[in-house]
Amino acid sequence: MFKILRKELKSFLKDRRAMILTFLLPIPLITVFAFAFGGGNGKGTIDKIPLLVSDEDNSVLSQQTVTDLDSVKLLNVILCKYDSGINLVKTGKRAAIFDIPKGFSDSVKASKKFHWKLEYDAAESMEMGMLQQLLAQGLYRGKVVKMAGEKMITNSIGAQFPGMDSSTFKFVFSKIKENFGDAESDTSKKSSGKSSGGGGGGMGNMNETMKLETESVVSAELTSPGLVHAVAGTAVMMLLFSLTGMGGSLLDEKEQGTLKRLLYSPIHPSQIMLGKMFASILVACVQLTIMFTFTSFVFGLKVHDKILPLALVILATAFACSGFGVFLATIAKSRSQLQGLSTLIILSMSVLGGSMVPTFIMPSWMQNISCFTLNYWSVQGFYDVLWRQLPLSGILLMRLGILLLIGACFILLSFRFFRKNVLALD
Amino acid sequence: MIDVKDIHKSYGNNHAVNGLSFSIKDGECYGLLGPNGAGKSTTINMLSTLFPPDSGEININGLDAKKNIEQVKKILGVVPQEIALYSNFTAWENMLFWGGLHSISADALHKKAEELLKLVGLSDRKDEKVKSYSGGMKRRINLACALLHSPKILLLDEPTVGVDPQSRNMIFELIEHLNKDGMTIIYTTHYMEEAERLCDRIGIIDCGVIVAQGTLEELKTQSEIQDVIVMHCTQTPNELAITTKLNLEVKVTDHTIYIQTGDSKKDLTRCVVSCSEAGYEIHHIDIQKANLENVFLKMTGKQLRD
Repeated sequence: MFKILRKELKSFLKDRRAMILTFLLPIPLITVFAFAFGGGNGKGTIDKIPLLVSDEDNSVLSQQTVTDLDSVKLLNVILCKYDSGINLVKTGKRAAIFDIPKGFSDSVKASKKFHWKLEYDAAESMEMGMLQQLLAQGLYRGKVVKMAGEKMITNSIGAQFPGMDSSTFKFVFSKIKENFGDAESDTSKKSSGKSSGGGGGGMGNMNETMKLETESVVSAELTSPGLVHAVAGTAVMMLLFSLTGMGGSLLDEKEQGTLKRLLYSPIHPSQIMLGKMFASILVACVQLTIMFTFTSFVFGLKVHDKILPLALVILATAFACSGFGVFLATIAKSRSQLQGLSTLIILSMSVLGGSMVPTFIMPSWMQNISCFTLNYWSVQGFYDVLWRQLPLSGILLMRLGILLLIGACFILLSFRFFRKNVLALD
Repeated sequence: MIDVKDIHKSYGNNHAVNGLSFSIKDGECYGLLGPNGAGKSTTINMLSTLFPPDSGEININGLDAKKNIEQVKKILGVVPQEIALYSNFTAWENMLFWGGLHSISADALHKKAEELLKLVGLSDRKDEKVKSYSGGMKRRINLACALLHSPKILLLDEPTVGVDPQSRNMIFELIEHLNKDGMTIIYTTHYMEEAERLCDRIGIIDCGVIVAQGTLEELKTQSEIQDVIVMHCTQTPNELAITTKLNLEVKVTDHTIYIQTGDSKKDLTRCVVSCSEAGYEIHHIDIQKANLENVFLKMTGKQLRD
């Protein structure tokens, strides 16, 4: 038994590839996953969550509201115009926009009902939960709500007990305020888990008076964004694996001698590459179509009214993924090297690009990196079509263009490496 | 038909082919005989236009192989050293695929594939996947796939490696049949008996250079290799007495006499009679015919299968 054990260890230690796969490969993967899931910046703390704020009122009170929000440690307030902000949310570039409507200041001063509006992309529902919690913290503990509350108490006492002397007024005011303060903190706690509805006001009708309205930018009866994410993210990741496997047939052909035989025949070497590439694209289109058809029939994903844009995203994704698969095959020296490389690169790209988890839970620097992955553009393209319902123009066309550009770059690089690595037969 | 002039090919510091020249006539079967690493496959790859020589000229059927790659490929059939087939495909599917790469009509291709399957004895198993075939059967299909477009010239790169005797014989018969029908053949091997059986002329290649070429008889003459008559006697013979009597080169070790002769058939009786007359009792006679092995050893100083 010990002889076998010694022999096994000896042969393992001699196999450099096995050593790398066993000990080195997990390290970069752990690093990527840790950054994605483990609190953001790699130090165990969480990065600030960006929040678009549109101050349409542009008054002292509205500016104070912005200051109140800015004082929340984990919020990164970004001021913008409403139109440009809502466009960013609708196109999936930001999770939500907090709107302070015109007349906000007047409503507060007159103790009238007023509301803030948080419009969000439901595809980023996890980020929304955190945002609502932070908003409640900033708003209901801020100076504006405090001031509005005091104004309301004063008006309310004055209306119900006209002619009250100042010392009694002060006593009643302080008692009500005390209760209001308690209720206020309760409210902020309660509001944290809700997806919509008001936050504030412990005193009587405060709940109705100071309200945080939340609204999804996409109609609620549409498909669940989670479902879109599940199918799009998984489909792209699986596609990358299967197409890399297909691209790897180039290496198999080289090892088995059929590539050499193909080169003996009167066809140009580039035809071999292109033939493989088109086969990959075709398989990819069929694979994605099957996945979306399955999800449509089994889980009710609505695709029937978006056939054309969906087909275009599928085609662009298939093109980009096929280019990637063949590229990886041309830079690898052997099937086993390709396997190691593809596992590392595809898993990293899938984590970074939002195939496994939505990109918003990552720290901002990782979200920036995600733009460099194929998965990101593909998953966002599927979101645009199936969830955001964007027309076949603007941002969706841009995403399709980027996917095609990625595919074209990979194909050009593949040709270069095909000549350099694969065709070097002797 | 094929004219190769002073071709060179190097990989870094390794000179795989180092000034190789030979000519092959129309309908000839030419053998390139040499050990592993001699430069045979590199030569085949250059002839098949897979890559050009670093210098030198290759002329095939009047075409410069460097400049007319497409035209040259059309008249060449190449049987690679590896079994270059898709093992998950059936023999029939493989034949249709490889034949389909040439501009042959579907009908003609089907007809040719049927004909070749019959020739290699695999008609009844054409619908089985190649991976279920024996090594010899795979080799036969490997050869058949190179013939689908009826090439004028056939390049065979060690086509019988790892083949059972039955398949080897079938391959030999097919090559002989093709050659008889006028196909020009270049056959690389390190098996001398294959070169002796199949080739009209043989080029002995070593370290990227042809050290000798010609028919088997010409090579024997060039290398001055002769047949050897070996006679085992009961006593130790006198070397000088026999040499004087026969006027041939004689060597004696223990009880054995080695007599070198240009024609063993003609000299055998004379040798036996002379030894008997000298009083030596012969109990066993061998004739070692001059062969390529001796020629190769003499020419290169190496065993062919080193």
